[in-house]
Amino acid sequence: MSVYVYAITKDSHPLDLNGVKGVGESPAELRTVHSGSLCAVVSEAPEELSVSRRDLEAHHGVLGHLWADGTILPLSFGFVAQDEDAVRTVLEERAEQFSQRLEEFTGRAEFNIKGLYDQDALLRAILETSEQARALNEATREGGGTYEDRLALGELVAQEVQTRQDAIAAEVLTALRPLAASEKVAEPSQQYFVNASFLVDSERADEFTRTAQELAERYGKDVELRLRGPLPPYSFA
Amino acid sequence: MVPQGGGAVAQPAGGTGNLYDVLELVLDRGLVIDAFVRVSLIGLEIAKVDARVVVASVDTYLRFAEACNRLDLEEGRKAPAQLTDVVQSVEEGGAKGKSKGALTGAVEAFTESFQKRRGDDEREKEHEQVERGSSRRSSEDRED
Repeated sequence: MSVYVYAITKDSHPLDLNGVKGVGESPAELRTVHSGSLCAVVSEAPEELSVSRRDLEAHHGVLGHLWADGTILPLSFGFVAQDEDAVRTVLEERAEQFSQRLEEFTGRAEFNIKGLYDQDALLRAILETSEQARALNEATREGGGTYEDRLALGELVAQEVQTRQDAIAAEVLTALRPLAASEKVAEPSQQYFVNASFLVDSERADEFTRTAQELAERYGKDVELRLRGPLPPYSFA
Repeated sequence: MVPQGGGAVAQPAGGTGNLYDVLELVLDRGLVIDAFVRVSLIGLEIAKVDARVVVASVDTYLRFAEACNRLDLEEGRKAPAQLTDVVQSVEEGGAKGKSKGALTGAVEAFTESFQKRRGDDEREKEHEQVERGSSRRSSEDRED
């Protein structure tokens, strides 16, 4: 019987699984598979798994619940082992590696910060400061100007957007970096001009949050910084 | 999970931001064990569609030019908040209900226990009971 695997932790973890629901339409009970000083939290694999709120929330919920009681290695969403023996084998073969990571995560948590720009406010600010952009914008409004004018406007504005966003992203990372033990920075996307995870010692968690708060205040209403955490160390497992 | 009210940290309106903000952590991060199989996930492509990096291309330039053209600069000065909110929420499904100028996000429900764990690094031994119910699962199924 194949099993869905949520997390790996130490045998000494309280493993209080009462009332916690796993993935699947009618979630199977959570149970543990032990080997040496390690154990894995699993449930019978559901027949169907999808990227749905239900299953993602269940996975995230189980990990959060376990993590609140002790250090864990969170597995990525959607992994299934052939059976409990296969899980036991992995625990046995990689015992040293897992134990070492669990050590590293003790007393630490992940914080994720995402930055969003209000695009229109950013474009307005650019048009206000760049005479060239303003002129091109006037020329191309209401169907005026040439295709080349539109391209020129777009290129100019795109570069300026990039420059401004990169500058703020760098400031955010520079301010938070010294407070973290480790970091994982994702490529900027269309939506987030900065998206980074930090592994933070519990003693510094307050300072970390406060620093993020100060950054958010400094940038005012056109920039939104979203902070999530403390979280299980997804990005560092 | 119910976020705890946390001092100056604003929470996103309407709960949906909650999972949304950690989606890529749950899907793309986390430990991957090659001996296990990832079940084929319907919908994964859609979920990841936003991960595209901004690229310098003709399409991008034209999109920016168009966005500039349609800005009403006069209007913008008068009432920026409403205008930008509407446009943005149409363009970016994820950015709804944000409170601007503030740090948003949810303080995880297990914050409390994270803080409680401070200091005692090794919770190896017997996990001596902490006052009932207060150290874990601050929200969901605490039985009273």
